[in-house]
Amino acid sequence: MTEIVKKSTIEKEENAVETKTAVTNRAMVRPAKKRRNQLPLAFVVLLGVIFMAYYLAGKSAGLAISWLFGICFGVVLQKSRFCFTAAFRDPILTGSTSLTKAVIIAVAVATVGFGAVQYAAVSKGGAIAGSISPVGWHVAIGAVMFGIGMVIAGGCASGTLMRVGEGFVMQWLTLVFFVAGTVLGVRHWGFWERLFFDGASRVHLPSVLGWPLAITLQLAVLGILYIVADKWGNRNKG
Amino acid sequence: MAEYRLDCLGEACPVPLLKTQKKMAELQVGDILIVEVDHSCAMKNVPEWARKEGHNVEIEEIGEGEWDIYIEKAK
Repeated sequence: MTEIVKKSTIEKEENAVETKTAVTNRAMVRPAKKRRNQLPLAFVVLLGVIFMAYYLAGKSAGLAISWLFGICFGVVLQKSRFCFTAAFRDPILTGSTSLTKAVIIAVAVATVGFGAVQYAAVSKGGAIAGSISPVGWHVAIGAVMFGIGMVIAGGCASGTLMRVGEGFVMQWLTLVFFVAGTVLGVRHWGFWERLFFDGASRVHLPSVLGWPLAITLQLAVLGILYIVADKWGNRNKG
Repeated sequence: MAEYRLDCLGEACPVPLLKTQKKMAELQVGDILIVEVDHSCAMKNVPEWARKEGHNVEIEEIGEGEWDIYIEKAK
């Protein structure tokens, strides 16, 4: 009895090894297309980036810093395949929550960072740094619309820009309409402001709850979301 | 041990994944599906989904920004 069981497990293992090599061999059989060496191009682009930074620094230091931060941000975004769209889409589509957890961690890090910047600014008697937007139902409505749009377009704002740079042509089209929509939005800003923003209140949690409670509360909510995301990811693991 | 190709060139995320999921449902165990993609995001979520389902997956970059994802249906 035990011998049969043993035999079947061995056979199973052998099969598993076989199928594994079958796929591996397939991948090796087809020769890869001849690739161009991209290093010279990379060198030219790097020189261009440095030259542009130098040129911008002549106009204003802030511009040059923004330029370099933008480039670095793009590189990290591309290499890590970090994607806000996937963070909200994949849990439902594939049951994968790895990017969702990455976004939650990013927000948690940003909470601490922005908290420190704002606290420093306020304790010096300055205004609260960063943009504090009016809260209301319009946020939820806009978020749902943006969510539908970004899943269809295949990327959020940063994701679209990153893939435009990657050379994915369909997203160049996305960029055209992304810019068109933004221009329209800015042009009609006054209308939206009167309709939604003037009536809504701007809430800055630390001013209402105090700094320790506000930061703790936000981190606690993010922690709970992380645990939920982790559970969701493991639950779907066949 | 049939072999199928799925052309997802020019398709943005999540279309390659949805097409793969549909195609995999039609395949017999042991069949191989080769998904051709050129969207970097599909490079992450197609193999991730397939591995989670328990299939064997190999990825090969066949050109600049063009990948073949080999998926063997395991169950």
